[in-house]
Parts: sequence; C-alpha cells; structure tokens
Amino acid sequence: MKLRIYAIAYLIFLYAPIVLLPLFAFNDATIIAFPLTGFTTHWFTELTQNAALHAAVKNSLIIALCTAIFATILGLCAARAGAMSAFPGKKGIVGFVMLPLVLPEIIIAVSLLVILRQVLGLSLGNWTIILAHVLICTPFSIAILNGAFGALDPAMEEAALDLGETRWSAFRLVTLPLVMPGIISSMLIAFTISLDEFIIAFFLTGSNPTMPVYIWGLLRFPSSLPVIMALGTILVALSIVLLTIAEIFRRRGVRRSGGTDTGGFL
Amino acid sequence: MTDLIKLRGVQKYYGDYHALRDINLTIRAGEFFSLLGPSGCGKTTLLRVIAGFEGVSNGSVMISDKDMKDVPPNQRPTNMVFQSYAIFPHLTVAENVAFGLRKSKMSKAEKADAVAEALKMVGLDGYGKRAAHALSGGQRQRVALARALILKPKVLLLDEPLSALDKKMREHMQVELIRLQRAVGITFILVTHDQEEALVMSDRIAVMFAGEIGQMDDPETLYRRPKSRRVAEFIGKMNFLPATVTSVGESIGLDIAGFGQTDVPQDQAPEGAKPGEAAIGIRPETLAILFEGETASRHEAPATVDEVVYYGDMTYYDVRVKDVPEPLTIAMKNLIGRPVLEVGAQTRIAWDERAIVVF
Ligand SMILES: Nc1ncnc2c1ncn2[C@@H]1O[C@H](COP(=O)(O)OP(=O)(O)OP(=O)(O)O)[C@@H](O)[C@H]1O
Ligand SMILES: [Mg+2]
Repeated sequence: MKLRIYAIAYLIFLYAPIVLLPLFAFNDATIIAFPLTGFTTHWFTELTQNAALHAAVKNSLIIALCTAIFATILGLCAARAGAMSAFPGKKGIVGFVMLPLVLPEIIIAVSLLVILRQVLGLSLGNWTIILAHVLICTPFSIAILNGAFGALDPAMEEAALDLGETRWSAFRLVTLPLVMPGIISSMLIAFTISLDEFIIAFFLTGSNPTMPVYIWGLLRFPSSLPVIMALGTILVALSIVLLTIAEIFRRRGVRRSGGTDTGGFL
Repeated sequence: MTDLIKLRGVQKYYGDYHALRDINLTIRAGEFFSLLGPSGCGKTTLLRVIAGFEGVSNGSVMISDKDMKDVPPNQRPTNMVFQSYAIFPHLTVAENVAFGLRKSKMSKAEKADAVAEALKMVGLDGYGKRAAHALSGGQRQRVALARALILKPKVLLLDEPLSALDKKMREHMQVELIRLQRAVGITFILVTHDQEEALVMSDRIAVMFAGEIGQMDDPETLYRRPKSRRVAEFIGKMNFLPATVTSVGESIGLDIAGFGQTDVPQDQAPEGAKPGEAAIGIRPETLAILFEGETASRHEAPATVDEVVYYGDMTYYDVRVKDVPEPLTIAMKNLIGRPVLEVGAQTRIAWDERAIVVF
C-alpha cells in the first residue's frame, strides 16, 4: 500500500510539469498563472506566423534526420560486428563505444567545442551539431540494434548463402528485413533525442539556432511564454508518438525473429 | 557406386582448439551416411567444412573429384538443413522454398511448379501461402528439406534435423527421410548423436570421438563387431569382462573371467592380437537366462539375479556371475509362459562364443 503511494507521488512529480504545458498553451492569458482564464488557440496561430521559429525548426529537423541516419548506420556496423564475430578485445571496445551514454553532455559539448574551434580551427555550423548528436545517439542505436541482431539466428544468413546468395545479397534479402524494425526504432529514437537536445546544440550552434536554442532565446521575453508552451505541447506530443512507434517496431522485430524480449529503453 | 566426397587428412583448429584431427573419409554417391558421436566431438564442424562454412586448417575436401579449397558455400553442390532449420520468418512457405531459385533462369510458372512439386515431396501440399513463422516444428523441418532439395544438390547435409521433434514425430520423420532419400537418390550426410537413429537410417556410419573417426562401417558391422571399447560403449549396450588371450593363430584362445576357456575366430579379435591381458565384450541380447528345463546350446554359467527392470516387451536383468567383477546385463524377451525372475533368484545363464568381441 505504502509502495503505491510512493509510486503515485513519483509519477505526479515526474509528469506534473508536462501536464501544465498544454494547460497554459490553451489558456487565454499572457501570464502563466492560475486560475485559468479561458480557452484559446491563439498561441498556436502565432506559432505558424513566426519565420525565425520556422527556420529553427527546419534546422532542427535537418540535424535530427542526419543524426538518425548516421547514428543508425554506425549502430548497424557495430551491432553486426558484435553479433557475428568474436575478436580480441571485443568487450572493451563495446564498453568504450557505449561510454557516451553516461558521459555528461556538457563535457561532450565543451570538449568538442575546444577541439573544433581551438585545436582544428573550424567554424561552427549544423554539421558540428550533427557530429556531436551522432556521438550521443550512436550508443542508443547500438543498444537497440544489438537487441535486433541478438534475436537473429546466425544460421539465417548462412542458409541464404547456402542457397546460392552472395554475402551481400544474403544480408540484403534476409538479415536486413529481419532487423528492419530495429533500424526504424533506432532512427526514431535518435531523431527524438537530437530534436530536443539543448546543451550541445547551445555550445556548438553556428549562426542558425536549433529549435531548443531558439526557445531558450525566447524565454527572455515574458510575453512569448504562452507561445513556448504551445510549442512545447507540440513537441511533447510528437516525442510521445515517435517513441511509441519506435517501441512498437522494436517489439515487433524481436517477435518476428522469434526471440524473447530482453532489451529496449521503454 | 562412385565416390562423391573425399576428405583427406582434414584438420581444423579453432585458435588452439583442435576440433578435427586428421579426418579421412570417402562418401559414395547416393549413400545415406551418418556422422555419429557425443556432443562436442566435431560433427557439426565436419559438416560445415563439407558445406564450406568453415575452411580447413590442413588437408583437402574433394567433391566429384574437384578440390573445394577456394569454392564458397554458394557454389558448392551441397545444401544444408540447419539444426534450427533457419526458415526465413518474413517470407511465406512458398517463398522460402523458392528462395534458392532466385538466380535460376526458370520462368515464373516453372518455378511455381517446382515449388509445388517440392512441397508435395515433403508432404506439405497446399501449404505454400502460409506464413513461415506460424509453422510447427515438424512443418518447419519439412520446409527446410523442400527448400534444400528444390536445388537438386549432389549432397544434402542435415545437422541433427530431428533433435527438435518429439519422440513420435522423430520416429515418423526417420522413416520419411529414408523414403525421401531413396526417392531422390541424393547423397545424404546426417549428423546425429542418437545411435539408434543412426543405426535405423544409415547405409554407413562414422563414429566420431574428440575430432577423430573411431570407426566407419555399416550399421550391422558397427553393432556386432565394434573395433574399440568406446565404440562398443557408445552404440547400444555391451557387457565387458576381463580375459586373457592364451593363444593366437587360426583362432584366438581365450580364458574369460567367470566363463572359462573358449576359442573364437580371428575376425572377432583386433588385428595383430597378442597373448596377454585383454577384455571381451558381449551384448545383453546375446546372453540368456536359462529357465526350468532349458539347457544352453553352447556354454552356461551359474548366476544370481541382482536387479530386474521390466519394460513390457522385454525384461532387463543384471546378474552376478562368480569371478566377474561387474554385474552382467541380459535382455530377455517376455515370451508366453516365461516368468519374470525376482531379485536374489539363483539361475543359470547361457552364452555363446560367436557373440564375443575381443578388445
Ligand atoms: N566457432 C568456433 N570457435 C571455437 N570453438 C568452436 C567453434 N565451433 C565449434 N567449436 C568447438 O569445437 C568443438 C566441436 O564442435 P561441434 O559443434 O562440431 O560439436 P558437435 O559434435 O556438433 O556437438 P553437438 O552434438 O553438441 O552439436 C566443440 O568443443 C566446440 O566448442
Ligand atoms: Mg552440432
């Protein structure tokens, strides 16, 4: 009984701020405070008319898409190498690859900034953010794809080889379709992580801010707070939808290749 | 029969581990050949060497007089039925079976006919449209068979294809596999650790121990004249008695503990047997309990019943014979009017020197 009370308290603590987002996004007042004064979609309309915001969103989408693709390709290579072959020092290398998962983002951000600007003398832009986001998303991709490959019978690809396919066509015709749910799930998760990542983007952004950085900039103007609430509402909804789809695909993948569910973040 | 597969001095190392030690064997075209041995003895490794999934560290693999050294699995005239069956779960049954025809020049209709024919052969008529992941174990196994046989390989390699099935299904599929092999005339190489399965199905059997072939023979020779104690122990059950070889020549003179003196023909002893300490083996069904009024046609010895195991059709007795260190197991048919003896009963047993193997 006590345990249930704790659990409920924990859930309230966790989700109350998120529930407040849509509440104020639809509230007809510039000041964020109770009591609520009335229903409006005004803040959402305002969103659609803000060109600077549109540019930031577009930036973020490009970055998130590139991150999703690159992180998933890297994850595929790593997971396949991990599933198929045993090589000396495999454990150590896998551990090393997964390290960014627990490394504070601020450290990644600062060290990348120092390397890119001070050491290499490069200018910042979208690609620097992509680079850093790939760095933090790849471990997630590897974890998801490791699950997909782990559930795969290694005899599958051999059977295709045995039936006359080449290494590449065996991979394309058998392995790829079987791990496809994992690939989609990995891309969705990397996309979501990249889309709302702030610290790294803040440090490494060039002249064009990403959406989270732009939102942070808006916070200086109290009158734009309800607009931010509206934007936040959309983002939360989008994240939930994407992560749900990702999880559905991950589970379907595990089921389809006949394994038992062992991994996943959700 | 012509020789189809020749392995000469094949060795395989996994790192430091010596998985295959000097394998020499010849498999004839159209033969049902089995690789039998305990777990970890290298059966799968040997099969994968023939299929081309593993390279050899030493020695050569020839198929149809062609050296397979640089021939990858997709170009060898072999197909494999994997232990897990490796049915592609994202395809239908028909797509699975047709998988190997992807690169063939057949027309669509010809392919469909070939698939239907292959499915019919394994008794899966009309299952083509089913999703492969929804099949039972026995059905998967048939799909795997059809998928491999549709390519008409020279050799079909089967890695413990029946081990995932229950006993009844397994016995049914044994008969079916033999029938199939006779029908298609393709050479089958079967890996199994079930000695009964190997005896039932094979033309010849290679018994493997720790990366070596212990003996290679037809099932009857293997059972009746095992060349070593470990082969005898692995196939069926055998009683071992200490003995002394007293003379060698036309026949071998023996003095067997508890049984006394006898002569056996030379082919029941290893080549080059010398006088001295030895052991003899004798199968449980070649010994017999003598009931009231029965006499032995050859030799007999007094015995005490030590244990009785009743199997319905058979009764297995463990009996003690004076001067024999271990109890002897005797298998008796439960014929009409024949009693089942009780533990402690005094009896006589009959033995026959023709059933003796000297080690
Ligand atoms: N890829 C590998 N790397 C290292 N060792 C291996 C490899 N494959 C097999 N072995 C080892 O080689 C030995 C023989 O293996 P193999 O799979 O051929 O045995 P098996 O006779 O088929 O056994 P089972 O009846 O259990 O299937 C085993 O000790 C195994 O651990
Ligand atoms: Mg094996």
